[in-house]
Amino acid sequence: MMEKVISVENCDLFYGDFQALKDVSLPIYRHKVTALIGPSGCGKSTFLRTLNRMNDLIASCKVKGSIQFNHEETYGNGYDVIELRKKVGMVFQKPNPFPMSIFDNIAFGPRQQGLKDKVKLKEIVEKALKQAALWDEVHDRLNQSALALSGGQQQRLCIARAIAMEPEVILMDEPTSALDPIATQKIENLIEELKKDYTIVIVTHSMQQAARISDYTAFFYMGELLEFDDTKTLFVSPKLKQTEDYVTGRFG
Amino acid sequence: MRKTRLSDRLLQISTILSTLVSIIGLGLIFQFVFARGLSLLSIDLFTSNYYGHNYIAELKPYEEMTYSMPNFDDEDVFVIERFGIALRQGIDLAGNGVVEVEYVHPDSPFNTMISAEVGVDTVDMDANNIIDRISYVDHPTSLSRRGAEVMASELNDPERVINQVFFADLGGGIRGSLITTLWLIFMTLLMALPMGVLTAVYFNEFAPVNMLTKTMRTFIETLTGVPSIIYGLLGISVFVPLTVALTPAVNTNLIAGSMTLAVIILPIIIRTTEESLRVVPQDHRAASLALGANKTQTTFKVVLPQATQGILTSTFLAIGRIIGESAALIFVLGAIVRDRVSIFEQSTSLAVHIWSMMTDEPANIALSSTIALLILAVVLILNVSIKLSVYLFEKRGKQ
Repeated sequence: MMEKVISVENCDLFYGDFQALKDVSLPIYRHKVTALIGPSGCGKSTFLRTLNRMNDLIASCKVKGSIQFNHEETYGNGYDVIELRKKVGMVFQKPNPFPMSIFDNIAFGPRQQGLKDKVKLKEIVEKALKQAALWDEVHDRLNQSALALSGGQQQRLCIARAIAMEPEVILMDEPTSALDPIATQKIENLIEELKKDYTIVIVTHSMQQAARISDYTAFFYMGELLEFDDTKTLFVSPKLKQTEDYVTGRFG
Repeated sequence: MRKTRLSDRLLQISTILSTLVSIIGLGLIFQFVFARGLSLLSIDLFTSNYYGHNYIAELKPYEEMTYSMPNFDDEDVFVIERFGIALRQGIDLAGNGVVEVEYVHPDSPFNTMISAEVGVDTVDMDANNIIDRISYVDHPTSLSRRGAEVMASELNDPERVINQVFFADLGGGIRGSLITTLWLIFMTLLMALPMGVLTAVYFNEFAPVNMLTKTMRTFIETLTGVPSIIYGLLGISVFVPLTVALTPAVNTNLIAGSMTLAVIILPIIIRTTEESLRVVPQDHRAASLALGANKTQTTFKVVLPQATQGILTSTFLAIGRIIGESAALIFVLGAIVRDRVSIFEQSTSLAVHIWSMMTDEPANIALSSTIALLILAVVLILNVSIKLSVYLFEKRGKQ
């Protein structure tokens, strides 16, 4: 039996009166890549954002059901959302480095936790950049603005920034949709490497990407989780007609 | 078809005409200020007092010698090699003949003299001072009304030993008003800048969006358009009594002036800062929060630094407003030109200095125009600085 890092049971999510997620139950297994697929507006990004409670930023958003991270209710009373976000990092659709130096970008998270020791910060930055396969490209210009990097490098920087917090889970919201094929491949290779140390949940629009990199795939449709299985099974012999239509590109 | 074309052409021409009229209007103002004010513009203007002062002085012990003097190719200038000074036969504003000091040699005994006044040790004679008379031991006094030439020849007479020199500086400088203006800028920004920026941060980052905050925003926006004389009323009824109660001030004063100006520029700073906060990408806030930073850290470490340029712009705009403000300051700071400025007393900013002189009898249009020229120049520099800072920030962001 594989260990669940996150376990979602009967999750309903409302934006005001609109129900964006309907009775979603899904396990996230440790050191695996879980892909969330589905047509636009199906709720996969919304679901991803419930995992680190980024939906809190939207005032009208209400969540029901149970979401457990390491067997603790993340929406429970008194749960520290800051602690959750330290352990569940996130990479966004568009690369969004802060307008600071490369070093400061990666040191940002640890610094906000009160770490001031320069030697330690240096170690963290180097380790994170190496893990994100960016060290060789930027090690001689850590003090330059992160905005001078290419789109693909910026996205790997954002991954390094998330890694610097040493999270258990990294959420990725269509991390390659703004990148060219070569940069995309680098990120995919990186994800392959990262899953040794981290659990990854990735939202993607690309069937091929989901098939290439994920161990498990969840198919969302109209706010419902229609099918969840290991990726091979879901792509080769899906249980539902809708899933088959979607993964074979008949609609989407 | 033809008709349409004609009306199009007319519309086009009217846009060009309107532009021309606007440019000419602005040009006329500049032309007026330049023509009237440029002649008085000099470094002395910024360093000298507004009020003239009479001096009585005696020479320190000196050695008889002959100074090498520069060559003045001017028949109204008379050189006194014996003392190292040159005098000019001039005419004052009222048309009377006066003896002006044209040049003082750095080693001249006239350069630094012993003051005959009580409580003052030395007094310096500078170019542009006016010599009234010079008295000698056992010789008749040189009087200015006999002219510079006679005075010069008497001074050059080796027989004569100077007893006392009576001279005056004419004043007309704006040093006091300049210092007041600098004080106003400093104290006003000190009060309004942090308050304005923090208010903008509250509205844009922390405040809930509801009727109350919306009303407050509208209220602040409205304040931008309130005539400054109304702020003057506020100042005289609130800030003047407040400063009189809390400080040594007994009347309208510079602190009350700064407080009033702070209220005037607050809406400007709040609005400009808010505009620059609003364009900070929502993604950056999300990224910071997703890294486990709390709301305050996100706001002050990620969002606010990106508004630096907007804050700088608002500062420049505010300085422009402070320099140009007059109506409110007449109420709360006073309209009495001072040479010695104290923050607890009345004085005038440059703009109020103009008002003071133009309400005098007779109005001093020349000096008013010179100050106007100065204010226009500063406002121009501020506007260019805003553009320059925008450019530099954009350039730095890409490096």
